[in-house]
Amino acid sequence: MKTKKIVTLILASMLAVSSLAACSNGGGTGATDATTGAGGETQATSGEKEIVDFTMFAAMSGKEKDANNDIQEIIAQKTGVRVKETWLTGQDAGEAIGSIIASGKLPDLIDGGDGSVTLYENGLLVAWDDYLEKYPNLKEMYTDEEWDKFRMDDGHIYWANVFGNSYNHINTATGQNGEAFWIQVRVLEWANYPKIETLDEYFKLLEDYAAANPELPDGTPVIPYTCLCEDWKYYCLENAPMFLDGYPNDGCCIVNIDAGMDKPKVVDYNTTDTAKMYFKKLNEEYAKGAIDPDFATQTYDEYIAKLSTGRVLGLCDQYWDFAYNIMGPFASPLQATDGTEFRLDQIGCDYVPLGLVAKKGMSQQWHSYDDELNQSSGCAVTTSCKDPDLAFAFLSALLDQDIHDLRFWGIEGVDYLVDENGLYYRTEEMRENWKSDSYKAKHTCEYSYCPQWMGMSRDGINRMQPGEQPSEFVLSLAEPLKKCFEAYGVGTYVEFLNSEKVVNAPWYPLWSWSNSISSDTPGGVAWKKMGETKHLWLPTVVMSKDFESDWAAYQAAYAECEPEKFLEEAQAEVNKRLETAQSYGWTPN
Amino acid sequence: MEISTSKSKKQKPVDIDKPKLTVKEFKRQWILVVISVIYVIYGIIFYYLPLAGWIIAFQDFKYNKGISGSKWVGFDKFKFLFSDKTFLMVIRNTFCMGALNLIFSTVVAIAFAILLNEVKNKYFKKSIQTISYLPHFLSWIIVVAIVHDALTSTGIINDILMRLHIVQTPFPFLARPEWFWPIVTLSNLWKETGWNAIIYLAAITSIDPCLYESASIDGAGRFQKMLYVTLPGLRPTIMILLLMNIGNVLNAGFELQYLLGNGLVQNVSRTIDIYVLNWALDARNLDYSLGTAAGIFKTVVSMTFIVVSNYIAKKKGDERLF
Repeated sequence: MKTKKIVTLILASMLAVSSLAACSNGGGTGATDATTGAGGETQATSGEKEIVDFTMFAAMSGKEKDANNDIQEIIAQKTGVRVKETWLTGQDAGEAIGSIIASGKLPDLIDGGDGSVTLYENGLLVAWDDYLEKYPNLKEMYTDEEWDKFRMDDGHIYWANVFGNSYNHINTATGQNGEAFWIQVRVLEWANYPKIETLDEYFKLLEDYAAANPELPDGTPVIPYTCLCEDWKYYCLENAPMFLDGYPNDGCCIVNIDAGMDKPKVVDYNTTDTAKMYFKKLNEEYAKGAIDPDFATQTYDEYIAKLSTGRVLGLCDQYWDFAYNIMGPFASPLQATDGTEFRLDQIGCDYVPLGLVAKKGMSQQWHSYDDELNQSSGCAVTTSCKDPDLAFAFLSALLDQDIHDLRFWGIEGVDYLVDENGLYYRTEEMRENWKSDSYKAKHTCEYSYCPQWMGMSRDGINRMQPGEQPSEFVLSLAEPLKKCFEAYGVGTYVEFLNSEKVVNAPWYPLWSWSNSISSDTPGGVAWKKMGETKHLWLPTVVMSKDFESDWAAYQAAYAECEPEKFLEEAQAEVNKRLETAQSYGWTPN
Repeated sequence: MEISTSKSKKQKPVDIDKPKLTVKEFKRQWILVVISVIYVIYGIIFYYLPLAGWIIAFQDFKYNKGISGSKWVGFDKFKFLFSDKTFLMVIRNTFCMGALNLIFSTVVAIAFAILLNEVKNKYFKKSIQTISYLPHFLSWIIVVAIVHDALTSTGIINDILMRLHIVQTPFPFLARPEWFWPIVTLSNLWKETGWNAIIYLAAITSIDPCLYESASIDGAGRFQKMLYVTLPGLRPTIMILLLMNIGNVLNAGFELQYLLGNGLVQNVSRTIDIYVLNWALDARNLDYSLGTAAGIFKTVVSMTFIVVSNYIAKKKGDERLF
């Protein structure tokens, strides 16, 4: 039978082809690619200085730098180290770190995000303790009390969080890096800059504006409101009730201090009246068509693509999650339907944060005025690094003022100029350059997940990062944004948001604990289940045709996860942090 | 499989059922022996040696302690698996999506091959065939991006439905659990039908043209020829492929479901592979032992499927694998 022979042949060749293909597929773990070539091979460049190449993986989405990036080369000449940074590609942080551990091929430097504790538990990180004494730049980052918070159960420090850390502890933030209900300034301008305090006012304004201006100049229809629900970034949908009730971003629960700062009580925000009110409002708006019909199924990339077109009037998110990715597109020229050119930032598509509350007149804490210390993850050196001392020397050198300026300000004369008083400033062209994605890829090198400072520079004149330099900040704003700030009589996003000025509680932010709990404890299991249940039910109740019965079903499913077990552990953590602070002399006042 | 083609009759007949292993015979075949030994070694290294890792399913394996240092826990991991509601749910999902995929991909590929075979214009036929199997070479991440985009509220599917006034507002395909399996099945069909049809097309070309001629003489029309000549001629091929694919039912997929899924459809989208990823490779759990246990379960079930279906095929007197 000839048939059989042919079939056998084809089968054999198909098997061969598919086994080859399987090799190249590799299961989509870009993370493991990132780690090849770890170990820091030395390579002589241009005969000047031996440059060591390190790899770094950050469990975050980010943009890779071009090879031969200008500033990266200058830093390499100064420090003798060049770091190739890689980022998440498709998978989430936990999975990426999991596959890196499984493959056994670690990068030299790593920010493990939620997987940091696992890296430590598997003995893959180098302790900072000895190097902290050796490199004062690193030691300077935190006070002893703060460093103690980074200590793991073996008493050593394995990473340092690099964000929101102000030099000399003086926070000079001009922006709201955290969460808010954001709105495009053109909407506020259209309504003659009203005061927006509640969800009702917010959505009414978005609807009215969309009805009056259904399209952008290039014909793209507007979307009044969208909301990201993908993976852990569903906080965009999930945690607003906490803020609406006037509490700060503890992330996993409300910490009620009605009984006094020394008697904090953990409260669940998923079951409050405000939560029901908020989701009911979203449900109504969804039915009206004011909410993006794809909100529940969009991926992060689709979300950013949508925002980049300027068609989304309002959203709830944390600034860092969307703003940096839309700056480039907002500053690029587009073609209007009538053939003229326009730019999204020029027509007022930039977002400003609104501190909405449940009831008119309430105060809110969307913005935190102090630095937030997140000890649950940070920049770490792995045991795969052949020369950890050099790695720490490099991290320390990154905090030298000249290199820090190179990272965030750029090259003097090219990226910024200095006036007679020593104040750094940029020309219009320089500012545009720093908004351009391609320019950043080939020229700038922030090493954005390595140690860095915010706040006042060591020279006492400039700020560590240009975004906080008051003179630069105002100039970097597009015209409509400037007009908006003037109309409300404010100078910065922080003033615009106008949150209550409170000193951070000693347990704040509690998400630095909940982000890294494993499912080994009953509370951890409950937390995992609560997450899964909310992922399923929250979009369901928003899209529901019968809100009341679906809300009841959701609350029942939620109760089955036994959230009280989680809250119990949260309470214990709050108490523990309070006691630690008290042992350092903290008192309620 | 027995080899008895018309060509081999002209050569010296070889009784392969009872090979006589003599030195002379061995010398005559030494090159073949060497070649097959390479494959045996390859198989041992890449298919059998890794099975040694299965022992961690009976341990509470910790990466830094290694196999020798980790604690033995017997069947604890398996007990946990079968008491976990989620695991039972992912078995159901995997099995249903695998079965849907098996049934539809086989039926559609056969139908496509037979229909394509009836096309008499050679160039048209060749170009259709090429076009239809090209999607096979796209990676899933690209296919998912296309599917995802097509099914959004502004995607091509909703656009067409709205222009035809079949729906008034965009239908949220990706948000509806009941649509997830059909979408997965259709995506599989779109990607693999052309590729799967190649083998059937090849099998059809080897059907003796005399059969068609005599069918025509007996007054069979085109449709009857398809039914009474082509299909029976394909029967051995269909059986072999079906048997092989039944073993693959639990390999219902990973990338497609993983990338296409979201919170709303999690109860129908997660497969065993995704479950393994969540438990074994996610740094927040990193339970390699549990992942391995789930993998063993999958293998055992797949083996059982193959053996049972092979046995049934044998009983029915059909083609079989072993």
